[in-house]
Amino acid sequence: MKRLQLHRWSSSVLSPRARTGSRVQQHLHSGVRHQSTASPLQSEASSQEEPFLEEAPVDEGLARHIRSIRFKRPEIQYPSPPVEAARSSAKLAALHARLYLPSRLPLETLARTLVDASADPNPHFNNESLVTLGHDLLTYYTSEHLLCTYPRLPLAVIFSSMYAYAGPKSLAAMAKEWGVEAATLPGGRLTQFRRIDPGAEVPGSAEKREPRQQMGRKIFYDNEYGDAPSGPVDRNAGVSAEQASSDFVRAVMGAIYLHAGRPAAKRFFEQHFLSRQLNISSLFSFSQPARDLNRLCARENFEQPVAKIISETGRRSRSPVFVIGIFSGQDKLGEGAGSSLFEGRERAAVAALKGWYLYSPLSVRVPSSMEEEGAAPWKPVHVDLGEVIV
Amino acid sequence: MPVQALRTVTAARNGVGAFILQCKRLDFHYCDWAGSSRGMNEFLRQNLPAFAREHPQIEIRVAPRPRKHPIIRGHFVNGKDKTICVRNLEPSDILKQTLLLKDASGEKLKRTKKPVTSTNDSVRGIWSPYHGDLRGV
Amino acid sequence: MFSRSALRSLAQDLRLTTPSAIPSAPLPQRVFLHQAASLRNAQPQSSTQSSSLNPDTPLSATPQAQDTQPEIQQGFKAPSGNPTTTPNTPADTFIPQTRNHIPIEKQPVPPTFDSPLKVTQSLMSRLPHLVGQTPHYIVAELHARPYLLTEGDHLRLPFLMPKVKPGDVLRFNRATALGSRDFTLKGTPHVDERLFECRVRVTGVESEPLRIKEKTKRRQRHVKKALSKHRYTVMRVMDVKVKTPDELLQEGTQVVEDAEDSPEIETRA
Repeated sequence: MKRLQLHRWSSSVLSPRARTGSRVQQHLHSGVRHQSTASPLQSEASSQEEPFLEEAPVDEGLARHIRSIRFKRPEIQYPSPPVEAARSSAKLAALHARLYLPSRLPLETLARTLVDASADPNPHFNNESLVTLGHDLLTYYTSEHLLCTYPRLPLAVIFSSMYAYAGPKSLAAMAKEWGVEAATLPGGRLTQFRRIDPGAEVPGSAEKREPRQQMGRKIFYDNEYGDAPSGPVDRNAGVSAEQASSDFVRAVMGAIYLHAGRPAAKRFFEQHFLSRQLNISSLFSFSQPARDLNRLCARENFEQPVAKIISETGRRSRSPVFVIGIFSGQDKLGEGAGSSLFEGRERAAVAALKGWYLYSPLSVRVPSSMEEEGAAPWKPVHVDLGEVIV
Repeated sequence: MPVQALRTVTAARNGVGAFILQCKRLDFHYCDWAGSSRGMNEFLRQNLPAFAREHPQIEIRVAPRPRKHPIIRGHFVNGKDKTICVRNLEPSDILKQTLLLKDASGEKLKRTKKPVTSTNDSVRGIWSPYHGDLRGV
Repeated sequence: MFSRSALRSLAQDLRLTTPSAIPSAPLPQRVFLHQAASLRNAQPQSSTQSSSLNPDTPLSATPQAQDTQPEIQQGFKAPSGNPTTTPNTPADTFIPQTRNHIPIEKQPVPPTFDSPLKVTQSLMSRLPHLVGQTPHYIVAELHARPYLLTEGDHLRLPFLMPKVKPGDVLRFNRATALGSRDFTLKGTPHVDERLFECRVRVTGVESEPLRIKEKTKRRQRHVKKALSKHRYTVMRVMDVKVKTPDELLQEGTQVVEDAEDSPEIETRA
C-alpha cells in the first residue's frame, strides 16, 4: 500500500491558515479508533520527516539539537507531541466524544488546542492563534447576549458579568469539568504548559496599576473585564494552571469556529457557556442607593421618590423590623425590610434600582442571530440611556 | 461612586445546556493466571469492545495486575475514583458493574430525603409575616 | 411520557438479534451493514440515500461496525431540540443516527390529539401576564407524585427509571400547576400538555448508602440484618416554558367561551 503523506496534510491543517476539514481529510481521519493507551509504535512515527522543518524557518542550532536527540527518545524530540500522536491518543478521542465536538474538528487540532505557548513557542504548533480567535468570539457572544438581554445594566456590572461568564476563572473551572487534566511537561494528551515557579510573581499582577475609577476611561483603555490590560507577557517564565486551562477552552472555541463554522461555534457557546448559572442581581454593590434613585427619578421625570413605612413591629424592642416602601406618586418602586428605618429605606432603594437596571425585554434577539439562514427581519433592540450619573 | 460590581464566577449546571458524562476513565485490571479473573478475561475479550464502541467518551485502559483479584476502577470528572472488585464474577455481572460506574457521578453516596434540589431563588418568594391581612391574636 | 422507551427497546432488540461477532472488515463490510440496517428498518433505501440525508457529515462520520474514528454523535443538534431524536442510542453494531434508521413501528409515537386545543377567552387574555413574568415553576407529575421544578433544578426520582441512560432528554407532559411569582395556571386536574414545555435530561444513576436494618425476635439471640441499597435516576431540568398566546394560535388553538371546569390563571392576593 502506498505510504500516506501524513505529514503533508497534518501540516496543512495545523498551519496558521487552518482550513475546515474536507471530505478527503475526513476519510483519512477515520483510520483506526484507538481506545488503548498502550504507547503507539514509535518506529513509524520517527521515520516521518519533521513537520516544521519544511514549514517554518527555525533556528539552525535548535534544528541541529533536535536532530541529535531525535533518535534517542521520540517523545522528547519536539517541545510538543508529534502531530501523528494525536490519532493514537485515547484521551483525546475520549475528550472529543465527551464534548460532542463536531466530526469535522480533527483530533490533531484538538491536540493543538492543548499546547500552551509556554510549552511550545512555535506558533505553528501551539494554541496561540486559536486562543486569540476563541477569545474574540467568546467575548463577542457574551457581550451581545448581556447587552440585548439586560439593556439597562450599569457598565460596572456588565464588566463583572463578562468576567463571570467568560473570565479566566470560569473558563478554568470549565476545563476542569470537561475532565481535562494538566501536564507540566509535554508528552501526555493534556494541557501542556510550563508551570510558573511556585512563589513567583504572577505576570500581570506586578504591573497592576491603581484601578481606574472612571468608567469612561475603562471603556477606552481597559480590557473586556474592566481590568487594566497587562503588557506583553513573557511566556518563557511559565504561566499559571488557571491561565493555561482557560486558554485551552478559548482555543477549543476557536477551533470549532474554524473547522465547523459559525453556527456550530454559537451552539457550543450557548450550550456550554450560557447554560451556566449567574445571578446578576447579586453583582450590584451600591454605596448610596437612595441618592442614585433620586437622580434616576429626576432623569426619567418620575415623581420624587418618597419612603413610607408599610408595616413595623417591635419599635421599642431590641429586634425591631420595619418594612419600608419607596413610592413615586402612586407607584411603589421598591420595598425592603430592615431593623432600622434607615436600613429599610436603603434596602427599598436597592430593590427599586435593581428593578430598574435588571429590566429585560421579552423575546430577546441578538445581532448574530441575523447570520442564520432565513432569519426574520431585524427589529432594533431596546437601547437605554444608561446608568444614572451622580 | 454610583454603583460598583462584585466579581463572581458562573456555576456549572451539567445537563441544562451540554451534558458531560461524569465518568471519564475506566481501568480494567485482570490476571492471566488466577482463576478469579476467568470471567474478567472473557469479558475483556467478548464484551469490552462493544462497550467501548458505545461509549466513546470514556477512556478505557486495560492493564494486568498479576496475582491479584480483577478490579474495575472508574475515574470521574470531579477527581474521585471508585473501585469495584469483580472476582469470580460472570461477564454479564461484570458488565453490570461497569454500567454502574458509567452511570455514577463520582460523588460520595448520600441519603437525601427531598427529590428536588434547586439553586434558584424561590419563584413565589418567601412568606413574610408583615404582609397580607393581619389577624388578631 | 417516555417517548424514549420505544427507542431503547429498539436498541435492546438490535442487541439481541445481531451477533456481536461481525468480522470487522473495511469498506465492503460497511456497505453491507448499511443495507442490513435498511433491511431491518423495513424501509427500502440504499446506502447512498441514507448518507445524503445529512450532507454536513461525511460518510465516515457515521460510526459503524468497523473500528472507525471516535464516534461523534450529532449531539449538537439533538440535545436542545426534539426529544424524539436520540443523541446517543447504543446498539451492538449499529447506532441509529437519523430517524430513517429506525423502523416505523419502533419510532417514538408523537402524541395524537383528536381535537385542537381549546382555550377559554379569559385564559387567553391573562396568559400574557403569566408568560411575561419570569422565572416560571411547574408542578409536574410523574407516577402520581408531584415535583415542583424550576429551570436548572436537580431532580432525584425516588425510583430507578427503566430504559433510560445518561444524556437522554425526556419531556414531562403532565402538570397540575404552572406559575410565576404572581400568577398560577391551575389544571383541572391537569394542564393540557400543549400549553407548556418542560424538558429534563437524565444525568445518571445515584444510590443511597447501604442501609442495615436489624431484625430481632423475642427470646432469640439471632439478629437478622436486612440490607437495602436502592438506586435512583437523577435528572436535571433543562427548561420550563409556558407558550405564548401567539404560539398557541399558530398551533391551531381554538378560543372558546368560558366553561365551568376550564383551567384558570389565578392572581396572588
